[in-house]
Amino acid sequence: MAEIAAQIGRRHLPALDKTLLYDVVLLLAIGLVMVYSASAFVAAHRMGYDSYYLLHDCVNIVVSLITLSFVVQIPMRTWQRWSPYLLLAGMGALVLVLVPHIGVRVNGSARWLTLGVGHVQPSEFFKLLLVLYLAGYLVRRQDRLSEFTYGIMTVAFLLMVTGVLLLLEPDMGSEVILWAVAFGMLFMGGVRLTHFLAVVVSGIGAAVALTLVSHYRESRIVGFLHPFAQARGDGYQLVQSLMAFGRGGLWGRGLGRSLQKLYYLPAAHTDFLFAIIAEELGFVGVLFVAFLFAVILVRAFQIAEAARRHDLYSAYVANGIGLLISLEALINMGVNMGVLPTKGLALPLLSYGGSSTLVSCAAMGILLRIDRETRAQGASRS
Amino acid sequence: MSMWRRPGRDDARTSPGGGRRRFVQWSLLGVFALMIARAFYLQIIDAPFLSREAGRQAVQMIQEQGHRGMILDRYGRPLAISTPVDSLWGNPQLLLKEPAAWPALAHAIGWTLGQFRRALHAQRHEQFMYLRRDADPRFAKKVLDLRIRGVASQREYRRYYPTGSADATVIGFTNIDDQGQDGIELAYNSWLSPRPGHATVIRDGLGEPIAVHYGHTRPQRGKNLVLTLDQRIQYLAYHALKKAVRYHGARSGSVIVLNPYTGSILALANVPSFNPNTRADLDSVYYRDRAVTDVIEPGSSLKPLTVALDLQTGRVTPHTLVNTSPGYYWVGPDKISDVADFGLIDVNHVIAESSNVGASKIALTTLTRRAMYANFRRLGLGHSTHSGLPGESPGFLAPPGTWEPIQKATLSFGYGISVTPMQLARAYTALANGGILEPISIVHHEKPVKGRRVFSRRVVLEMRRMLEMAASPVGTGATADIVNYRVAGKTGTAHIADATGYHRHEYVASFAGFAPATDPRLVAVVVIRDPTRHGYYGAQCAAPVFREVMTGALRILNIPPDNPETLMAQTAGARGTGHG
Repeated sequence: MAEIAAQIGRRHLPALDKTLLYDVVLLLAIGLVMVYSASAFVAAHRMGYDSYYLLHDCVNIVVSLITLSFVVQIPMRTWQRWSPYLLLAGMGALVLVLVPHIGVRVNGSARWLTLGVGHVQPSEFFKLLLVLYLAGYLVRRQDRLSEFTYGIMTVAFLLMVTGVLLLLEPDMGSEVILWAVAFGMLFMGGVRLTHFLAVVVSGIGAAVALTLVSHYRESRIVGFLHPFAQARGDGYQLVQSLMAFGRGGLWGRGLGRSLQKLYYLPAAHTDFLFAIIAEELGFVGVLFVAFLFAVILVRAFQIAEAARRHDLYSAYVANGIGLLISLEALINMGVNMGVLPTKGLALPLLSYGGSSTLVSCAAMGILLRIDRETRAQGASRS
Repeated sequence: MSMWRRPGRDDARTSPGGGRRRFVQWSLLGVFALMIARAFYLQIIDAPFLSREAGRQAVQMIQEQGHRGMILDRYGRPLAISTPVDSLWGNPQLLLKEPAAWPALAHAIGWTLGQFRRALHAQRHEQFMYLRRDADPRFAKKVLDLRIRGVASQREYRRYYPTGSADATVIGFTNIDDQGQDGIELAYNSWLSPRPGHATVIRDGLGEPIAVHYGHTRPQRGKNLVLTLDQRIQYLAYHALKKAVRYHGARSGSVIVLNPYTGSILALANVPSFNPNTRADLDSVYYRDRAVTDVIEPGSSLKPLTVALDLQTGRVTPHTLVNTSPGYYWVGPDKISDVADFGLIDVNHVIAESSNVGASKIALTTLTRRAMYANFRRLGLGHSTHSGLPGESPGFLAPPGTWEPIQKATLSFGYGISVTPMQLARAYTALANGGILEPISIVHHEKPVKGRRVFSRRVVLEMRRMLEMAASPVGTGATADIVNYRVAGKTGTAHIADATGYHRHEYVASFAGFAPATDPRLVAVVVIRDPTRHGYYGAQCAAPVFREVMTGALRILNIPPDNPETLMAQTAGARGTGHG
């Protein structure tokens, strides 16, 4: 894949950033192996053969890498121009999800659309679309960001509308990510600190209120605060996850030797893949995966830093993507380790899940594109 | 690689908030560090607790039972055996998810699909339901071979008693957990019990076993126990007794057959009994081993023992004369009487006619209270025989200091003392074997324990003649005589006593004796409690049972006859001459 991308790039533009590319490929490879390990037992029982999820994940990864190589070809100007329309399309998809017979319900959540070959999760796409749109918004409103309305309220309004849609699904994990990424971008874009704090504080207040109103969410929070007191109830998943970490120890039980994946830990190959990594590969494996995500964060911010000089939009997008991927990773890790309440959120690039992997790879493609455009610019200048 | 290159200098004009970007980047890296710290805490510091918790839910120590040992008679015939059975069970939670497997499973366990569906639905909140209990292991294997998730089997053992109610009161029974509850099953429980094996089972989150590891202990079968019983004689005794108890409308009865030279129990039958295989009517009324748990006042069947003690003093001989006229006399305010006036008779006839007056007069003149008490104790009366059977009663013999004046007299003919039929039988072994009191045993031992001498050879020979006479047409026990064999024995008929005194119309009929009289090989005691029909005397109720059991037993054991002259012997009719 890297070869192909590199060959395409060689004709007009500098080579792709190998650090980032290898990092992504490494994460995808670890993810593939761990998804297989975490799902084989359950797949063998439910589907009749143990490689069900492995094969599907292979397809997902191939499609994602092809997508990545296409995205690398798309100039940033195109994204900038089309981002408002893409965002509208994304919102439309979020509405469609809620329409009966069009949206697909799984375990009581309406998060998916059927696209002939498989399910698509619009909220995953929406995260990236928001980053692309917000970067453009920040560039357009550069001069008026200090005003409360343009600085923060427009975006807050946008988030509230989508927030209602996501609450209806419900998909709290995506909602939290959206708010965090959006405010992170506004913060970095130069919104006034007082405005920023006012909205953030009221946002947190609203989150707490929502939690107290909804018993479903409250019980999750309680399960999170005292997992072992409710090991059979709301704390079940978390307790099982914590046990996986404990069993892993320093060096892990060894690949394939997780006990928790044997129907103890629900969603072992999706939202709780990190716990299985911890159990089989140990603290060392956890450290390595965290390092790989930290590399994406640092690299994204470096690319943003470099892009700033010639294209502010690209810089904002790079920052947003760094923020998006690392926040998703951190929140997933936090959920797995009982630091954050349980949310349905995938570990980007690692977890089983077509939309998440596809969007993450597309984001990486954009990041690689920005880097290449920046260096091409630098080369042409010099 | 340029990934760690330092960011360029901030340009405030073109890039607002460069400091903010660095702040965000370092904050996020800080959060990464916090996550790693959390992972370190979970995986290194809290790991022992967490992995122990994980182990607790997934790893389970299970016990696997083995065979309980068999109980065998002296020739190795099985009296109690354990056979493996498999109980099939299912996890409704899992079965509900696999409706495709229902028809095959329902068919395999012999249910209709409708029955199965209803049962499953009724148990849908449970994790466990029996599909079939105590199934033949081959049957269970067929079901398990369907490989349906949520179906498992549990190996158990069922106790079978091939001899049924004939041995039930001696063998006892086990409970559902294979633990002995009564009889030999209880007394030798630890000997018979298997040592359970311990295995570690790893289960998945749905409770299905994934792997089983046997540690150091595999299940170990219990040891077999060989009893002294001879099942052929046991059957004989039980059925003869049952017939008699029914015929006489008696409340209960016991038969004991002993080998006089070893004290080993050849047969021990009680009626009523129970069917240990169905475990129905499990009430102590039915499963009590009355021969050792229930006491009786023996009445006249004790008389030979007191007379033997009299002879032992040397102050009387079998030919010493006693005046029993006019058939009664007074001890203080109490009257001791015979059924008739026997006049001036010798000791031989005191036994043969069963004269209370004669027996008590002799005892009063020859034995002191202390000697009588001590000698009774030496004969094992009033304390346990240590047969090893559970619930054995010690009987009761009051210390001589507490005796009423009349008591010494009544003791000589078997009143005022409570003994178990087993104690009586044991005391008779000394009369049969030449004067040695043998310890009672129910479990077969390679080396029998030595008994101790209680009577001299001379006294024993004199007593044999006397008892032979008592069991002959001359005496009260003629109904016990056996064709071609010479029998020695004594009848007994006693009123039943309880806390309120003696019951006028409730009797214990007994017979104690041995055969062949010239070379005793078997001692037997028959006790019939509270006969209500067809007579109540020992001669009417107990002696015929003795005869039936002894006749069969002598033949079974191929014991040569010792009375060839009576080959043409008359069939002894029930003469009904016995009396207390």
